[in-house]
Amino acid sequence: MTSQTETHTLAAPSLSKLARTTGLALLLAGVLLITIVLPAEYAIDPIGTGRWLGLTQIAAPAVSVVEPVNAEGAPLAPTQKGPIGEYPREFKYDVFEIELGAYEYVEYKYQMAKGATMLFSWTANLGVLHDLHAERAQDSATGGPAEESFDKSSRQQATASYTAPFTGIHGWYWENPGAARVRIRLTSAGFYESAVEIRSDRTRQTHPLRALESLPAPPRQQTRTETSEGTIAVP
Amino acid sequence: MRRHTLLAALVLWALASTVLVAHGVSDKDARFLLSLDGPAIIPLMYLGAKHMVTGYDHLLFLVGVIFFLYRLKDILLYVSLFTIGHSLTLLVGALGGIRANAHIVDAIIGLSIVYKAFENLGGFKALGFQPNTRVAVLIFGLFHGFGLATKLQEYSLSRNGLVTNIVSFNIGVEIGQFLALTAVLLTLVYWRTRPGYMRHAYATNAALMTAGFVLTGYQLAGYFTAGL
Repeated sequence: MTSQTETHTLAAPSLSKLARTTGLALLLAGVLLITIVLPAEYAIDPIGTGRWLGLTQIAAPAVSVVEPVNAEGAPLAPTQKGPIGEYPREFKYDVFEIELGAYEYVEYKYQMAKGATMLFSWTANLGVLHDLHAERAQDSATGGPAEESFDKSSRQQATASYTAPFTGIHGWYWENPGAARVRIRLTSAGFYESAVEIRSDRTRQTHPLRALESLPAPPRQQTRTETSEGTIAVP
Repeated sequence: MRRHTLLAALVLWALASTVLVAHGVSDKDARFLLSLDGPAIIPLMYLGAKHMVTGYDHLLFLVGVIFFLYRLKDILLYVSLFTIGHSLTLLVGALGGIRANAHIVDAIIGLSIVYKAFENLGGFKALGFQPNTRVAVLIFGLFHGFGLATKLQEYSLSRNGLVTNIVSFNIGVEIGQFLALTAVLLTLVYWRTRPGYMRHAYATNAALMTAGFVLTGYQLAGYFTAGL
């Protein structure tokens, strides 16, 4: 048995039939690509069928733009009394942890009113590209969100306080500069309203924030606690 | 008549499920791969098998390859050639860090379906020359494996346990191929007992060729829009 006879196929069609079949296959493939596949996958829609069938939405989902509250004197703006800034509500605390894959980035920002303050500390297991920045909702001159960077640098950690220079969203951009995975952990407490996370794939999600008062109270049964560091008194 | 309906329903279900899953590694699986640090034999085997069972390009190519193979000996021969081809490039590519553009590799995989469907239609007989089918299946196997290697490397797997993980993924691919092949074969064996099989063989392979062209066009469009 030679390899010639071993090839099992249909009997040879006439060349014209073969050409017709191949041409028809190409034509049909072209029609499917142009009317359905390309609009749905890449939002390439030469004859408008993707829009008509609603397929282009798959390739180009309507991106929800971050809309910070812009009104000055928003709920959490402080009232200054000398060195004291009085706030109308309790302050919040937040812990945010994320792992970034190769060359991924994340933005994590808080909604803050002008003059509101927070304390934060973050660490990463490897150095990351970092930008502490803020965005206003609208810039009357350009129409787009106005952005201001305060600390653009490579960092592995930061411990700081931050007072919002204007009402908007304020926070971090962290980018993994290499192929190794990077873990970042942020802890903060302050007068902010809500948190938003924006990832490399442009997905956006808000994070619930807890009031600091919701932390469990320390146990009060014992008066003395043994720890590895020694004995400490507990009221 | 009822049997036909059942068969049609099965084929539709299979098509729908593969299209829905799509071919890349899903988001959740991708996160898992990124978080890996050390050997994970069973999860990688599962992902390899899943990739094969839900990878419609591999499945369509296999349908083309075994469409006219009736004897178990022939099926084993061709499937082994395909397996040797894709295992070789998967292991060498993933371990050696060789990667190509995933769109180009996938476009060639689409063309492999066109090629096999064309051959099944008797196209090469009509043209009067017949490339060696075994060599062709082996070469396309190499491309399929290269595609797997390229996708796996997009997840920058940790060096820790890399060899174990890639070998596990490859074993999973073989298990998945075996399962998929069994399903394809059972369907074809049943279908062959129907009088419509030979009658529709021409149309079926023409449809297979169309699907191959669609996959090729889809990947080429992806390649040309990637830089935009």
